[in-house]
Amino acid sequence: MAEDLRCAEPPLTLPPAADGPPLPLTEAQEGLWFAQRIDPGNPVFNTGQYLEFHGPLDRAAFRAAVDGMVAEAGCLALRIRETPTGVVQQPDPALRPWLEVVDLSAAPDPLAAARGAMRRDMDMPVDPARGGLAAERLYCLSPTHHLWYQRAHHLVLDGYGTELLVHRVAALYAARVAGTDPGAPLAPFAAAVEADAAYRASPRRAADAAHWRQAMAGAPEAVGFTPGAARTARSAHRAEAAIDAATGAALRRLAAAQEAAWPDLLTALLGAYCRRIAGEEETVVGATFMNRFGSAAARAPSTQMNVLPLRIRLDEAAPLAEAVEPVLAQLARLRRHGRYRGEQLRRDLGRIGAGRRLHGAIINIQPFHGIPAFPGCTAELRLLGTGPVDDITFDLRTDPGAATLRLDVEANPDLYTAAEAAAHATRAAHFIAAALEAGRLDAVPTATPEEARRFTIAANATDHPVPDTTLVALIARAMAATPEATALRFEGASLSYRELDRRSAALAAELAARGIGAGDRVAVALERSPELVVALLGTLRAGAAYLPLDPAHPPERLARILASARPPLILAATPLAEGVETLPPAAWPASGEAPPGPAPGDAAYALYTSGSTGEPKGVVIEHRAIVNRLEWMRQHYGFTAADRVLQKTAATFDVSVWEFFLPLICGGTLVLAPPGAQRDPAAIAALIRDEGITAAHFVPSMLAAFLAHPAARGLAMHRVFCSGEALTAELRDRFHATLTAELHNLYGPTEAAVDVTYWDASAGDTSNPLPIGHPVWNTRMYVLDEALRPLPAGVTGHLFIGGVQLAREYLGRPDLTERAFIPDPFHPGARMYRTGDLARFRDDGAILYLGRSDGQVKLRGFRIELGEIEAALGTSPMVAQARVIAREDRAGDRRLVAYLVPGEGYDPAALRAHLAARLPDHMLPAALVPLPALPVNSSGKLDRTALPAPELPATPGRPPEGQTERRLAALFAAALGLPEIGAEEDFFAAGGNSLLAVELMLRVQEEFGRDPGLGALFEHPTVARLAVLLEADALPPGDDGLRPLIRLGRGEAERPPLHVVHPAGGIAWCYGRLARALGPEIPVLGLQAPALDSASPPPASLEALAEDYVARLLATHPGGPVHLAGWSVGGIIAQAMAVRLRALGRAVGTLALLDSYPAEAWRAEPEPEPGALFRALLAIAGHDPARHPELPMRRGPVLAFLRQGGTPLGRLPEAVLDGVMRVMEGNNRLVRGHRHGRFDGTLLHFRAARDHAGRALSPAMWAPHAASVEVVEVPALHGEMIGAAAVAQIAPVLRRRLGP
Amino acid sequence: MAEAATPPLTRAQMRADIARALRMAPDEFGDDEDLSDLGLDSLRAIDLVTRWGQAGLSLDFGALAEKLTVEAWWAVAERTMARPAHG
Repeated sequence: MAEDLRCAEPPLTLPPAADGPPLPLTEAQEGLWFAQRIDPGNPVFNTGQYLEFHGPLDRAAFRAAVDGMVAEAGCLALRIRETPTGVVQQPDPALRPWLEVVDLSAAPDPLAAARGAMRRDMDMPVDPARGGLAAERLYCLSPTHHLWYQRAHHLVLDGYGTELLVHRVAALYAARVAGTDPGAPLAPFAAAVEADAAYRASPRRAADAAHWRQAMAGAPEAVGFTPGAARTARSAHRAEAAIDAATGAALRRLAAAQEAAWPDLLTALLGAYCRRIAGEEETVVGATFMNRFGSAAARAPSTQMNVLPLRIRLDEAAPLAEAVEPVLAQLARLRRHGRYRGEQLRRDLGRIGAGRRLHGAIINIQPFHGIPAFPGCTAELRLLGTGPVDDITFDLRTDPGAATLRLDVEANPDLYTAAEAAAHATRAAHFIAAALEAGRLDAVPTATPEEARRFTIAANATDHPVPDTTLVALIARAMAATPEATALRFEGASLSYRELDRRSAALAAELAARGIGAGDRVAVALERSPELVVALLGTLRAGAAYLPLDPAHPPERLARILASARPPLILAATPLAEGVETLPPAAWPASGEAPPGPAPGDAAYALYTSGSTGEPKGVVIEHRAIVNRLEWMRQHYGFTAADRVLQKTAATFDVSVWEFFLPLICGGTLVLAPPGAQRDPAAIAALIRDEGITAAHFVPSMLAAFLAHPAARGLAMHRVFCSGEALTAELRDRFHATLTAELHNLYGPTEAAVDVTYWDASAGDTSNPLPIGHPVWNTRMYVLDEALRPLPAGVTGHLFIGGVQLAREYLGRPDLTERAFIPDPFHPGARMYRTGDLARFRDDGAILYLGRSDGQVKLRGFRIELGEIEAALGTSPMVAQARVIAREDRAGDRRLVAYLVPGEGYDPAALRAHLAARLPDHMLPAALVPLPALPVNSSGKLDRTALPAPELPATPGRPPEGQTERRLAALFAAALGLPEIGAEEDFFAAGGNSLLAVELMLRVQEEFGRDPGLGALFEHPTVARLAVLLEADALPPGDDGLRPLIRLGRGEAERPPLHVVHPAGGIAWCYGRLARALGPEIPVLGLQAPALDSASPPPASLEALAEDYVARLLATHPGGPVHLAGWSVGGIIAQAMAVRLRALGRAVGTLALLDSYPAEAWRAEPEPEPGALFRALLAIAGHDPARHPELPMRRGPVLAFLRQGGTPLGRLPEAVLDGVMRVMEGNNRLVRGHRHGRFDGTLLHFRAARDHAGRALSPAMWAPHAASVEVVEVPALHGEMIGAAAVAQIAPVLRRRLGP
Repeated sequence: MAEAATPPLTRAQMRADIARALRMAPDEFGDDEDLSDLGLDSLRAIDLVTRWGQAGLSLDFGALAEKLTVEAWWAVAERTMARPAHG
């Protein structure tokens, strides 16, 4: 009967020739197993390398050597299975990866063929449950050229483990060909598991935990080099760079002087590099620990590698030896506690769940990779993959004495381009060399000399001839060319160029008559009107600079400006201030001759901008600068006399400068929006339609409001320009979905003549974030560090501007001018302007704007790009418009608040769920504030002061509310062993680990009848968030998962379901995977043993049981044929049910048996011995009964043992465990006593083709009990029939049988 | 034998080298104390093996890694020094 039980449920089925008992996973394996389990199709967990041999390799000896190693290395033959009760692993001799020899010598390019074959093999995901975790292959390219390829899943092998294998093979090979001592064999895999268990049980672990908590106190949040979540990708970019012999020697010299190992010094230098790139005062990197020392596992190939956080805080100004000393000392301290798992530390520190990390980049120096001697051959090592890369890893593998070193970089393709990965390799190698040479860190630029050249010179190759002239001369030319053309349109009336010429010349003459000319400033305070244009142009023609004023500004501010600019005259309808003469339009002359006008170096206008101190600053722009800006725009975009440009920006805002003058230098038409119309989307849309506008400008927040208005739909223009705020990718996409026009993103401060960079965001642009682009003509853009050194792509720095468009000065403030306009270190004699903005270069040289250097949003240490949150809001139809800001309404309590204009079907809870699905936790707004419209100020920018403070919940830790949350909270608390849990507490922060997560999600599946998947818990680690997810799926009321009929897969309501019958233990959860594979169409219901409940009487016979199940089934059956399936004992019951259904006259559609054999086969086996049940239960829980001879095989001791064991099974209620044993025992009795009836239909038998060797078990045994038997071979063991691989074969067959 | 007169490594020197690598005083730990508890790991061990190798004593890294005490290491060193050198 032991055999019967073994056939009944997977953990009981031991592979026939298993090499030792099933073992638990080590701590090092748990995280890797879980990561692969979440993403089964991901091949990135394959590690691989090859050794390239040149020379006469003795193939026979080599094969013997590799096979000898394979026979010793149990890890390569592991099978790792997920059972309902835990994850177990076991070496299976049948899975040993004996050497395959592949002869490619006949291929046209043998090397390329081998590399391609290796790449393809590396890219194949491996299912740990099926084995095949490792491969050993020899590619023969010629008699003297071979590649030895090794692949192993990271679950079973790490870098040091690989090293052990290589050395073992070399020793065995040398022994064969040279007769040397082959040395000791490798240690068994079990030694690694034992060492892990010993550490887990030791008091040392608690001491290590305490050390780490203390060491990490006050550490900043770990961030990577680029924004974005560091989630395991499916591949990795690889790049390498050499560290030359001189640098290697310098490294060793300094290490020796410091009495440190050179790898530690290298780790410190790479840490310093990472700190530079991260741009933080302190950065946390991951340092690898080999984790084998002092353990019996030292010679057991396995995965042990541990990554622990290293806090990089450095005084860059100190001599190098002194600067790195704290890091070296930290490494020495940390090493004493290096056995404590990084994964566990992450949980201890609560740095887990969406978006939180323990460290950024990983530094992995493995100086133990000496390539051993293969007599007669040279050998060179190439890495193909070292396992998953969440962010970026700096790998250095070498032997201790190597002269030159090779730095390998692996990077997550979701976060880095291949070029960026390559740049990091080159740059880091350069940084190390330069630091050692300079002897100081602060003397080393971040960029390589090549990068510095590229980003200061090549990216700024913008020289372009522009006539050295004035705005006045350009406009005069147009006026002379087409005097009858329409220069202005305003409220339906037109003004010709001739009229504009006459009126502006007359005003200029009047000003000149008053002695006003070059060097003077004339204040202009007029509403938008033809008079405004005449005033601006008249002032310019007089040779003076215009100074626009907004009469609506507070009088105090106007007074300060007038006192600073001291204009001799104000052109305004009514007097604006005491002491300055006002000349109203009514008093302007009708005719007069314009004076000669200004020179290119004269000021054209002076604009006052708000200073951060609150004191307005007057920016003076010369003709030469604005001529460059306008000529660039005219030619770059091809503006002509046919263009009609909308003017709607206030003259006090510098965007108005091109709106006013670009059409006038082209001979086109300037269309003035009526005063106030700029804030009215309907009025703007009407103007664009009625006036045939070809070009218009919008500040992004105004553009968002405009696009949201129905009047904007379907508009067409040639070009729309955005500037003044960051343009998001989301808004760009909305723009193109709403109207037809090119979209151009421009950037520039008032201090550099309106705009200095441009980016084409027209349809087809997919950049995200959207760049500000490249410099305009005769303009240089620099991204520099604090020491004004150029930064490479991907590194955030301060944005500087050089070139002809720079302002002359701040009026009357030489102090401010000197501070903002500094010598350009790359152009002697030239100036550059410090923008105060943060930016970084993209790899293609486009610039990304990252906000103000003083206004960076940082919460909990995270750099947050608000645009990213806004973009996420914008992807929901529930949001028409949104802005996110960081508010500090209570001191020290800074929170993100989203202000939004609701769209269709706005529902805060649903929107939160929408955001939670797209953003890491730290980016979720603390409050959503719906507003009828977003307030904007006079320049069209968001008016922050007008935004209301949100109402925030009093405490973050609210209790669970509502049915779903309360049920979930009970499961969370039970899984975590806590009395209760808050609705917003993170499962992992509260102590959850991956195995507990499996258990929890099993419980969720039982409770809610549906498995959202383990990945869902990572994305939604709180009760509140998981509840939203579960509710969104309209789940049925839950049960305890043990009822006689449970729903395993919902399917379509009208379809007849597939009924799956429990195996020997009485529980049908094991069919969850099959049910999911049949979804979403086919409903799957599970039949479970009523006798799991002790109150239920045991059935008298299997026929009675089948009768009872049929009655339960028919009670809910929607009609149509009944479909049945069962695994093992379940198949026997299913066949009996089919017989019963036919007796009732019901149609049976499909009867599928998953490797079941009739009762006769059972009766042939001996009765189980006493205690077999308890042994079975132990095995289900992942324990090997044979290893616990001291344990009495009785109920009490076994259950007590299971509860201590910490496996999920041990946590099931005792009554359920009793039920499982009772049902198993009962089923044995029922099956042995059963006499089959004949089913008059086809019995579909899925045979476990890899099992039952040498046993007389065959589907043919069913022939007497069915009209016909159809057999489908599934290459699996009996115990694997409900596993992923088998289900992948079985489900499609069933799907076809169950109809469309 | 000439080699016996000038051993490439003495027990005292071995202890001093280990202590330096750990940044501890040579008398701060016992012969049977687990060196990994004191922070000795592969990097330092490799460094020590390299230094001793340069001094003329080539020790098997794997053998050293099996037990991390001064006692055990010295036993490995003695065994190695007792073996006849081969080319």
